[in-house]
Amino acid sequence: MTESQRLTFVGNSDRKPQDSHQDSPDQPEPYVLSDSLKKAVNLAIYLRRPLLLEGDAGCGKTRLASAVAYELGLPLYRWDVRSSTKAQDGLYEYDAILRLHDVEVQRTQQIAANQQAKADQDTGDDVEMPEQRNPGNPKHYRKFGPLGKAFRLRDRPAVVLIDEIDKADLDFPNDLLTVLEDPWEFTIRETGETVKANEDCKPIVIITSNKEKGNLPAPFLRRCLYHYVNFPNDPEQLKQIIERHYQIRKNPPPPLKLADTAVNRFLNVWGEGGLFKKPGTSEFLDWLKALHTFEPKPYEASKLKDDTLLPYPELLFKLQQDWKKYTKAS
Amino acid sequence: MSTFDPVNLVLRAFLLLRSRFQLGVGEYMVALKSIEGGFGDEPDALAETLKLLWCHSLREESHFESIWPSIQAQVSARKRRKPPFPNSKQPPVQAQEPTQTVQDPDLAPPLENLPTQRSNAELASLPIQAPYILTGDEEWSTPQAYYPISRRSMVYNWRYLRRPKADGPLNVLDVEATIQQVTRQGFYLSPVYVRQERNQARLLLFLDQNGSMTPFHHFTRDLAETAQQESSLKPENVEVFYFQNVPTGNVHTDPYLTESTPLSLVLSRCDNETSVLIVSDAGAARGYRTQERVRGTARFLYQLKRYTNLIAWLNPMSAKRWVGSSAEIVANSVPMFQMDNDGLSNAIDVMRGQPLKYSYSSPL
Repeated sequence: MTESQRLTFVGNSDRKPQDSHQDSPDQPEPYVLSDSLKKAVNLAIYLRRPLLLEGDAGCGKTRLASAVAYELGLPLYRWDVRSSTKAQDGLYEYDAILRLHDVEVQRTQQIAANQQAKADQDTGDDVEMPEQRNPGNPKHYRKFGPLGKAFRLRDRPAVVLIDEIDKADLDFPNDLLTVLEDPWEFTIRETGETVKANEDCKPIVIITSNKEKGNLPAPFLRRCLYHYVNFPNDPEQLKQIIERHYQIRKNPPPPLKLADTAVNRFLNVWGEGGLFKKPGTSEFLDWLKALHTFEPKPYEASKLKDDTLLPYPELLFKLQQDWKKYTKAS
Repeated sequence: MSTFDPVNLVLRAFLLLRSRFQLGVGEYMVALKSIEGGFGDEPDALAETLKLLWCHSLREESHFESIWPSIQAQVSARKRRKPPFPNSKQPPVQAQEPTQTVQDPDLAPPLENLPTQRSNAELASLPIQAPYILTGDEEWSTPQAYYPISRRSMVYNWRYLRRPKADGPLNVLDVEATIQQVTRQGFYLSPVYVRQERNQARLLLFLDQNGSMTPFHHFTRDLAETAQQESSLKPENVEVFYFQNVPTGNVHTDPYLTESTPLSLVLSRCDNETSVLIVSDAGAARGYRTQERVRGTARFLYQLKRYTNLIAWLNPMSAKRWVGSSAEIVANSVPMFQMDNDGLSNAIDVMRGQPLKYSYSSPL
C-alpha cells in the first residue's frame, strides 16, 4: 500500500466513499472525536495493532467502530463477547451435526439429487454454507465468525469490533493474541484450510473493555494500543455532540436554550462528585430527548433551570443511592 | 526543533521504561515504525504515540507523563555535549557534580545526568518533582486505606480452584464421538452423550480470629463468603473453621469461637485432594517471635501434612513485616503469601497442586 492510499480517519462522516462495502454501516454515526482519539485510531490503522478502548459505560467506546467503518466505507463485523465465548467462535464454526444429518437425508433421496450436488461441488468451495450442500465436501459446513470474515476479505480491510472483552473467560484474550499477530492466519481443523489475511487487508481491530472483572493479561495489553475514553465533561464539547447528533439523525434539534440549560444542569450533577454511577453521554442524549419530545411541548428551559429536582431522573440515575439522593426534595 | 531526534528519544525512553511497563523488543520496533509513518514528528506527538503504544492504564500514562520531560532533557543534553562515546554512562564533566536528591532508587541512574539542564531553566525543577509522584504510587499499600485485595478479585481467583470431574448427569452431546460411531457402524442410531463435568475440588479454610487479626476480619469474612457462595466450588465442598492464634485440639465452626469441634474429626474428612488455606498473621502483626506459637503451628502443620500437601498460608501482613517475627519461621515450612491479588493467586496455584517453585526468602 503506498503512502497516498493510506487509510486515515478524520471523523467526518461525509467522506464515505462511493464504493463502500456492503457490510459497511448504512447509517452515519454522529461521533465527535477528540484529537487524541483520532490519533489513536490512525495509529492503530497504520500499525494494524488492536486498539483497546477503556472508559465509563456510555461514553462512546462501541460507537467508534461504526464511525470508523462508515467513514472509510469498510465492512464492520461486530463480535459481542459473552461469558461463554471462545476465541475460536470469532474465527469459524463448524456444523458437524448438519453434515451428519445431510448424509442420512441424502441416503434416502434420489441419486439424481446427489449428482446435482456433486456438480456444484467445485464451484461452491468458497461460499459459506451453500444451499446445495454436499456432505462429501467439508467446506460446505463451515461458517465464518466476525474475525474469520475479516481475514477472508481480499480487496479492503475490515473493522472488527470486539465488544466487552473483559466479560469472556480468563484465557480468551491470550487465545485471541495468537491470531491477531503475524502471520495473521488461522487453520480450520475440520477442512484443513488455512485462512490468511492479505498483507494490505489485515483487519482493523477495536476492542472495548469496562474493566469490570479486573485487568486483562499483560501480554495481551502489550500488543494493544491503549486509549482511555473520557466523558466529554466540557460544555462546548457536549453541545457539539448534541448538534452533530441531531444533524445526522435529521431530527429537529431542541431549542438552543433548553439544550444549554440541560448541558449545564447535567454537568453540575455530573461534576458534584456524589454519584456512585455517573451517567454517560448516551444517557444524557436520552434525557435531552425526553425533555424535548416526551411531552407534546418541550420542557421549559427556565423551569429546568429553577427545578430543584431534575425531571426524568429515571434516565440518569441507575443506582438506588443515586436515585435517593437526587429524587428526594432537599 | 532542529535537535529533535525521535529515534534516539525512543531508545532512551524504551531503556528506561522497559522493565516497568513490561515492554519487549516488538514494542520498540513498533514505536520506530510509527515514527517512520509520521506519528512522531513533534516531541508532543511522539509522546502521545508512545503513550498509546506503551501505556496500558491511566496510571501508566501519568507515570509516562511525569518522566517524559526528563528523558527529553537528557537526550538534548547529550546532543549538545557530544560525548566521545554515546553510551558512556557518566561523562567526565559530571564527576564533580553532586548527585541529585533523587528518592526513587529505580530512577536514580538516568536522573543523575540531570544537572546538565543548567541551560534550560524551565525544566530544572521537574526531575525533583517526578520521583515524588512515583514513590506515591509505588507505595500503594498505605495504611490509611488498607485494601490489599478486593472482593471481586477474590471471586476471580477462586475460579481457578477447580478439579473438574465428569460425574454429572449424562447429558452432554459428544459430537465427535457421535460421528465416529456413525462412520464405524455405517448408519446412525443415536447420539453419544458424555457426563457433565463438575468441580470436585474440596477446600478447607482455617481462619484466625480475634486478637491481632481483628482489623482483618473484614477480609477473612469476604474470603469465606466468596469461597462459599461466589466461587465455582460446590457449597458442600467448602468448609470454614476458625481458631485463635494457633489451631490446637479444637477448632470452631463459627466466627465467634463458640461452637467447637475436634481438629482430628475435621482432618479425618480430609484427603490428598483437599486444598487447605490458612489465613493468619502468624505473629507478624505485632512482631512477636514466640516459641510456643511456632511450635504449636508446626505441630498443626505436621498433622495437616499427613493428609494433604495442598496447603497454602495467606498472611494479611505484607511480607516486609514477617522478618523477625514467628511468621518468618512459619513461612519456611509452608508456602506463605501476603494477602493481595498476587498472593491469593499464588496460594491458589499451590492449593490446586500446580508445581509452583516456591521457597521463602527474606525480603531484606
